Amino acid sequence: MEKDLKSILGKLQYTDDAKVVQQITQQTRQVQDRMSGIKHKIVVMSGKGGVGKSMTTVNLALALGRQGHRVGIIDVDLNGPCVPRMMGILGKGLEVTPDGARPPEGPYGIKVASMDFLLNETAPVRWKGPMDLSPVWLGLMEMNVIREFLADILWGDLDYLLADLPPGAAADKPPVIAGFLPDLAGAVVVTTPSEVASNVVQKSIGYATELGITVLGVVENMGQYRCPSCGVENELFEGNTEGMCEALNLPLLGRIPFDRNFAKTFDKGTPLLDGEYPTNRRYTDIVGRIQSILDYKRVLAENL
Amino acid sequence: MKFVCLNCETYMSFERVEKPAEGSLGVFFACPACDVKVSMVTNPGETQMVSSLGVQLGGRTVDPSPLEMTRGTLKEDVGAPAAAGSMADYLNDKIHAGQSASPAPGATAKEGESGGCPFSAMVTQMGLTSGEASTGTQPAALQWSPDAQERLGKLPSFVQPMVKGSVETYARKNGYTTVTLQVMDDSKNSSNGLNWSPEAEQRLSNIPDFIQPMARKEIERLAQERGATTISAELMDEAKEKFMKFM
Repeated sequence: MEKDLKSILGKLQYTDDAKVVQQITQQTRQVQDRMSGIKHKIVVMSGKGGVGKSMTTVNLALALGRQGHRVGIIDVDLNGPCVPRMMGILGKGLEVTPDGARPPEGPYGIKVASMDFLLNETAPVRWKGPMDLSPVWLGLMEMNVIREFLADILWGDLDYLLADLPPGAAADKPPVIAGFLPDLAGAVVVTTPSEVASNVVQKSIGYATELGITVLGVVENMGQYRCPSCGVENELFEGNTEGMCEALNLPLLGRIPFDRNFAKTFDKGTPLLDGEYPTNRRYTDIVGRIQSILDYKRVLAENL
Repeated sequence: MKFVCLNCETYMSFERVEKPAEGSLGVFFACPACDVKVSMVTNPGETQMVSSLGVQLGGRTVDPSPLEMTRGTLKEDVGAPAAAGSMADYLNDKIHAGQSASPAPGATAKEGESGGCPFSAMVTQMGLTSGEASTGTQPAALQWSPDAQERLGKLPSFVQPMVKGSVETYARKNGYTTVTLQVMDDSKNSSNGLNWSPEAEQRLSNIPDFIQPMARKEIERLAQERGATTISAELMDEAKEKFMKFM
């Protein structure tokens, strides 16, 4: 007579003798321990590529650094990391110690974790696993690389940790980050005013909201073009980010012009740090709004 | 993963892991009652999946080093070409004993059958196929007043469908047959079926505009906790008092 598996299992007590669950629990605990010294964790995301997420992440971090805050950046764009170059620390490496990996520091002591520190300068990310089977394991692998960046980097005590998410990450990275960081403060969403970008960004906002991630607001990048000669700004794209924000009931945190002179300094790894420079002032304003939103309870108590 | 000894009706115990070949794990289990042993052999994809978890089957004997999984899995030889087709070779060699894994000629699924393709079956099951008649009843069409239509038209084209849907849902829920400017305003301001009194709206406007969406959500959440249907001045006082505690 054939055995009834359901009734057999009903009588048995499951034990984790391969200790997989135990180790995964331990990994999660280690992330939480490492993150406990960080006050505000924010992801910078878009869902659309080429809108300037990394530029926004780096400049928000620099604006926070100028204010004297202790800041870290985790470059979650594993396959196209560019934060180290923009911060002027390309070529530096993670120093592995028994307590964890010590991250290189950029301007204002900003700590950076990036795949770029584990690669040769022009090398792509290549894994040892069977690439013809990558659909089976690659997502899991990337999730655990992020987990190791969170858990194994010596972040120390920070006021802000910014995570620069890769393009097209609407489907997998936000839930991974949110899963590891239950006290995630929220997401800053970057878009350009073009309708194509805004349309995709809108979807990722909806998805983030479904996951319970608070969308702190939207940064419109490259909305205008700042003339490198005379400094006059003109519209670069036709679009309406303000209208999108109004329709989605989200704050527009600020608008950053495309500024060739400014961008060039980041491309060359010598970021323009002058806080009085017009584009940097815009980032400072955005940071001020983000801080007000993070501190909204105090703002409400004072103004309601 | 566990194995069950059907003879003894008990879980088999994990014993050890061996590496019988490159890209393969042999995980050994034994029945604690009859001592029957089995070994589960993984293919390269399954092996890599376990490796990607950053765990060691059976537990760790030494603590993991920082970034152990990331550093250990990055290819050292970054210029080496990927081993294309190794899974196909593996399947042919180990499972089909050299026989091709491709389906035999004439073995394709009949037209209209979803069983041939797991994806089409999934899509069919989820009801995502286009052109399929909906089984649900269509809601009655709503009229839009010219000024409401004009305001909708001023929004970016890509958000118009979402806003239209949201306003019409509100309108139907509240028994309106025509969407006017007032209905549009009410739908925006009366999320979750809550109404804001003019005084409460006025006080909300004292908040910097970029914080208003979050403030609105928080206050509406408080109203729902209290079972209120209207955001009144008294509720705003209560909200202010609540937020004062965080200062």
